[in-house]
Amino acid sequence: MKALKNIIILLTILLWLAPSKSMAQRDKIDELRASFIAKNIEFSSAESEKFWPIYNELQDKRKALKKNMRQSLKNLSPTASDKEAEEIITLENKSAAADAELTKTYNDKLKIVIGAKKLAKLKVLEEEFKLEVLKAAKEK
Amino acid sequence: MTIGTFLLFQVELKAQSAFDSLNLKKAKHYFKTTIFLDSYTKANQKFPKQKASKISNDSIIDRRLGSFGLKQFNLGFYTPIYTRTYYNHDSTVYSNTHYLLTGNFVSVQPSFDSVNKPHTLLKYGLGFRIIQNSGKKGVWFIDLQPFTTTDVTTSTPNGYFRMANSFIYSHNFSSTFNMRFGITKSFMWGNRYYLPYLGLRWGKLDGINFSIQIPKNISLNIPISDKIRFSVFTKPQGGMYSFLNNDSLYYFHPEVTSFNFTHYEILGGIRLDFVLNKNFSGYIDAGTSTRSNITFYSLEKNNKRPDIPYKVYFYEKNLSPTGFLNFGVVWRFGKTKSYFNDKNMYDVFDINNVNSPGDVNSGPGNIEIPIKKSIKQSKLNLVDIQDLIDINDQ
Repeated sequence: MKALKNIIILLTILLWLAPSKSMAQRDKIDELRASFIAKNIEFSSAESEKFWPIYNELQDKRKALKKNMRQSLKNLSPTASDKEAEEIITLENKSAAADAELTKTYNDKLKIVIGAKKLAKLKVLEEEFKLEVLKAAKEK
Repeated sequence: MTIGTFLLFQVELKAQSAFDSLNLKKAKHYFKTTIFLDSYTKANQKFPKQKASKISNDSIIDRRLGSFGLKQFNLGFYTPIYTRTYYNHDSTVYSNTHYLLTGNFVSVQPSFDSVNKPHTLLKYGLGFRIIQNSGKKGVWFIDLQPFTTTDVTTSTPNGYFRMANSFIYSHNFSSTFNMRFGITKSFMWGNRYYLPYLGLRWGKLDGINFSIQIPKNISLNIPISDKIRFSVFTKPQGGMYSFLNNDSLYYFHPEVTSFNFTHYEILGGIRLDFVLNKNFSGYIDAGTSTRSNITFYSLEKNNKRPDIPYKVYFYEKNLSPTGFLNFGVVWRFGKTKSYFNDKNMYDVFDINNVNSPGDVNSGPGNIEIPIKKSIKQSKLNLVDIQDLIDINDQ
């Protein structure tokens, strides 16, 4: 019973330390996107084992870019100086350049793995996924 | 190197540098640091009284013990210390190697009714494991688990240093069939055994699967939802501990201060894993303990007799089946790289969880392997979909 009591106390402390809900929810979109793509493109076993690690890495990098940009905009004070405003513009330019380069680099990698036809279908599905999610959010 | 290759190499470097120049914070590992607390209780079983005409060594010790039950508390963890990721030459195979620090602290209380002061046996240690995911079909698993056992009932110094380890290769023939083989040195079966490891799995790790992992467990795993998973299992549990002779259980050698206490049992039951939130999960399992066996032997005395094996018991008892209850909480924290639908990474997680830290066959389940769900099933709000909307969308 002593062990049970200790576990309950520890669990209460750990739940109190749990991270915010929105952080957990952002991962949910990645999970849903992956499920949506897996359901709608038929990868062979060999394609699947190579495709997903590369695609996940791309999504992680994109997410890091967006998070960084969003955080910087959030931190920008309404009374920001010209220099601070200039820095934000520069950051956006750099982020856009990095995003474009990621697209090219990973398109090249993924094209070798799944071929141009399936890669094009992937792009279509990514757009369809956005629509599906927006529809679902609207219904709720 | 041709001029063309050189230029391509430069282009690749440039593509990397634009992203890398931003110095963004990225997850370094695939594994979250995981801490789990596990509590196991087995009902106390009275020893039948022997007739006076059948007095033997075992019956004398039976009387001195009176009964046997078991309470076990296990605090374990694993944490990634270094993760190496790399591509092959044509950038199509993404491999990774995981270096994990593991550790655990086990407190075992064998319950003997006729023993005045209950014994508290400890087992603790830090271990190290390497998991190599080739990115193709294979996953290699190397595990070193040194540990110390000691009886802390009194301050009398005692204890042993031991080492459990495993070397396993896992091959994914497809996402629905996996085979593992290797060798494991374990104390889980009540003594030191070098055992072959043979694993077979039918079904996907993110779906219903039937898994035979000898000598660890056999289980049928059924995900009910992304938050609840159900399984039916059978597995061995046991260990080998230092035990003080302060109750004169080794009555014909009272000069021996401590000896070995071993126990093993085969558990069969049902288990429910449930997700509490992103970082917490819990599990509860219950069933029947069968083939339960306890032994006492003195390595010190046996070693002085070269004519006999080292594990000649001065007491051994087989017990009848009884019920058990096991539950635990798991705390996983830290940011990780994504691994959605990555079957090899799912296999990496599974092999890590089947071989739970510290040679204790109980621990966190495969909760970190996501179960597929549809958009309609999920609860979404505006914050979730923020990243999907581009300012240039029209």
